[in-house]
Order: sequence, then C-alpha cells, then structure tokens
Amino acid sequence: MLTAAFRRMRRAALPRSTLRFVAPLTVLAGWEVAARFGLINVFLLPPPSKAFADLIVLGSSGHLWKALYASLFRVVCGFALAVTVGVCLGIAMARVRLINDFFDPLVELLRPISPLALFPLAILWFGIGDGSKIFVIALAASFPVILNTFAGARSIDINLIRASRSLGATELEIFKGIVLPASLPYIFTGVRLAWGISLIVIIAAEMIGATVGMGYMVLEAQQTFRTERVFAGIFVIGVIGFATDLGFRRLRQWLLPWYRETED
Amino acid sequence: MVLGLGQELVRFDRVALTFPGISGRRAVEVLRRLDLSIGAGEFIAIIGPSGCGKSTLLSLLAGYLTPSSGRVLFAGKPVSGPGRERMMVFQQPALFPWLTTAENVAYGLKLKANRGNGRNVKETVAAMLQLVQLDGFARHYPSDLSGGMRQRLEIARALAVDPQVLLMDEPLAALDALTRRRMQREVLQIWEKTRKTILFVTHDIDEAVIMADRIVVMAQRPTFVLEIEEVTLPRPRLREDPEVSKIAQRLSALLE
Repeated sequence: MLTAAFRRMRRAALPRSTLRFVAPLTVLAGWEVAARFGLINVFLLPPPSKAFADLIVLGSSGHLWKALYASLFRVVCGFALAVTVGVCLGIAMARVRLINDFFDPLVELLRPISPLALFPLAILWFGIGDGSKIFVIALAASFPVILNTFAGARSIDINLIRASRSLGATELEIFKGIVLPASLPYIFTGVRLAWGISLIVIIAAEMIGATVGMGYMVLEAQQTFRTERVFAGIFVIGVIGFATDLGFRRLRQWLLPWYRETED
Repeated sequence: MVLGLGQELVRFDRVALTFPGISGRRAVEVLRRLDLSIGAGEFIAIIGPSGCGKSTLLSLLAGYLTPSSGRVLFAGKPVSGPGRERMMVFQQPALFPWLTTAENVAYGLKLKANRGNGRNVKETVAAMLQLVQLDGFARHYPSDLSGGMRQRLEIARALAVDPQVLLMDEPLAALDALTRRRMQREVLQIWEKTRKTILFVTHDIDEAVIMADRIVVMAQRPTFVLEIEEVTLPRPRLREDPEVSKIAQRLSALLE
C-alpha cells in the first residue's frame, strides 16, 4: 500500500525520464561545490564547470571534432566489419556442422586473448593509422556477434521449422522467413555488446599508439597535466556511449516490435 | 485428389518405428505394429498411456518421421515428407512470434508452393480469422493472445492452406478447464463447417468420447492398436450423459 502511494506521488511529481537525471546531476553539483570550497584537490578533481569550459574551448577550436571524427570513423568501420562477419559466421556455424567444427576451436582459442595484446602486432601489420584500430575493433567485437548469432540460430523451436515445412516452405524460404527472424533478438543483443566493446577498445588502442583520436586526446591532456581536459574527454566518451545505447534500444523497439523482454 | 466422405484417406500398414540408440543409449522401440485405416472426413481421437507413441503416429503422417518398416499411405500414396495436405497443430502452439495474427495465417499462402492456387490471400485470411473467431485480433502478436486464442490461431493457419487432414497433438492440454470445454465445442464446430479429417491425440478419455467418431486406443510401448471404439451417440454430447460416461469408463478400464 505504501509503495502504491509512493508510486502515485512520484508519478505526480516527476515523470520517470526526468527522474533518471537526478542522481548524475546531484553528483555533479556536489562535486562542484566541494571543489569551489577547497574540500578536494582541484588538480586531481577539477570542478565540472572548468571541464565544461575547456570542452567549449576544444569544440570551438575544432580540436574536439577532429579527434571525435577519427575515433568514430574507426569504431564504425571496425564495428561494421565485426557485425557482417559475425552474423554470417554465426549463422553458418549454427546451420552447417562442418563449418562449426572448423571455426569453433579457432573462435575459442582467440576469444580469451585480450584484443589489446594483439594491438602491437596490428600496428606492425596495418600501421599507426586507422588500419590497426579497425582491425582490433573488428576482432574484439566479432566474438559477441558470433556467439549470440550462433545461440539464436541454434535455439529455434524445431516445431516452427516443421510447421513452416508442412505449409510448403522451401529451404530458402525457411531460412529467410524463420531462421533469420527467430535469430534476430539474439543477433541484436550481440550487436549491442559489440558496439560497447568497440567503444572500449578504440579508446585503449588510441592511448597505446595513435596520433589523433579521443583516446589520444585524453592521454595527451594527462601528460601535459590538464586534468580538466581529461575530464572533458571522458565526459564526451561517456555521452557517446550513453546516447548510442539509447539509440539501440529505440532501434530494437522499431525492428522487433513483437519481442518481449521480461526485464530491460 | 478429392475423396468422397468415408473413403479411405489414411492407412497405416504394419508400421513399426524404432529410434536407434544414440551414443550408447539403448534403442527404443516405439511402434511394434500399427494397422489403422481412416476415412475422409472422420474425426478420430487417439488415446493411450503417456509415452505410448500417440504423437509419433501423428509425426509419421505429417512426414516428420519415417517408419522403420511398413508404410504410411495418404490418399493411396506413401508419405515421403511434410506437405500442406497434412497439417499439424502442435500442443505448444508453434506460431511465428514475429508475425501478427493475420500475418501468421497469411504466411503459408504467400509461400511459393501455394501461390497461384486461386486463393486470394486477404480474403482467405479474413475468412479463417472469422472461422476461429479472431477477426478482432488481426494485428495482435501471438504474445498478446491468450492460450485458447493461440490454439485457434494455429488451427486457422493450418486451415488456410486447405489441408485434407488436421493432425492435432493434444491441442487443448495446456488450457484451463473452462477454456478447454469451450475449445472442444469450437473444434467440433470447425470440423462440422470444414469437414476436414481430424486426428486428435488426447489423454483425456471424456474428451475423446465427446468429440470423436472413432476412438483409437493404443497400448503401452511398444505400441499397437488395442482397440477401436466407434461412438455413434448424436452430438452435442455431454460429459454428464450416462451413455458417454459408460463408454469412458469402459475405455478407462481398458487402459489400466
């Protein structure tokens, strides 16, 4: 009863979407106040207002956009490669035993290796530019796509395929009409994970070896003791991750309107 | 090929089925010797102890399984695989969750094999949904439907491709008692309207007596036909009718 009353009160006071911003804003405000009153070391934790001011400087000088463009270009290329290869390989492994027997040990051997361990090699192979980053992203991000696609294509209810066959479907019609749509929720989960991994890998890779990019920008700021710039960069990286994940959820509602998830 | 009412449509001719033992497990003999003849338009109920191979019988006729020996004949020809003249209605509805109610019914009609058979997709879908009383739910997804509605939708999808036989594998087993009773009446109504041959597997003896023309009683595995009971009582039959319970009691004694 109490929770019902609380729920009613909350609904009247604030819509849920607004409520979501309360916690982050409270933290920011507390941090700002603590920094202003000298309660924390402003070199290690500069006030958010200073980081935002630096963000504007970075934006207006064009520095930010150049770094952002370089990073996102690498992420999108690597991610697109991972999704294409991952979906094709995942489905092929699920449906053809020979392909599964061939690729499965390879996937299992490569999967536990940190993609960053391969980055020095990637630089040797593809150079310090975009190629090496696209390679490690594609490699790291393809595993969740492969594994989820495989799980999806394997877990199809046999009776769906039987029903479709009875209705007169050809093998191609079963693949397009049953196997693909039935795997789609799983593929989607894999794709979403792959995107998250791509964002993590690119920053790390750019901190190890790059001449431009968000990771490089943050590292360079740290090495020149500009902590506010470090925070500005981290903030941009965070916003991109948050906004794109929101985009993925919207995309799923639009792509898979029939899909019911018990908990989101 | 269209057969007159009562002409033989399905024949199980000395059918035996043994699942080979895979990876060290023992081979399982499911059907020892099954002989059964079913006429066009008949409503056949199949009862027997659980695990006795009732569903296996349907899968053989649907073409999902092939007999180890003997022949399954449909309209005089051996069954060689799934086909739209023999449609299965599964116990757990095998509906396509990504398609709406109307799209599920239309799915079969839009397949290459069924195009150009003179059936208008839109009209057929509308007629089928009306037949199973789902006309108000054309745009709902299966996950939005109740258990009884899903079962009706599965029947509509099967009927859309105009099969000659409906194979119903305990279609009402997952429903609550009230819905089950209503669905029994509805299945009978659909049968009376369409005059399809129906093979109806159930473990509910009363249900079999209320619905079927003939009841096939199967023995414990390895299965054979224990007895075939003809029910000539006029429909609608009621569970409480002493004639119905007399038959049910006799069958139940036979199974014990």
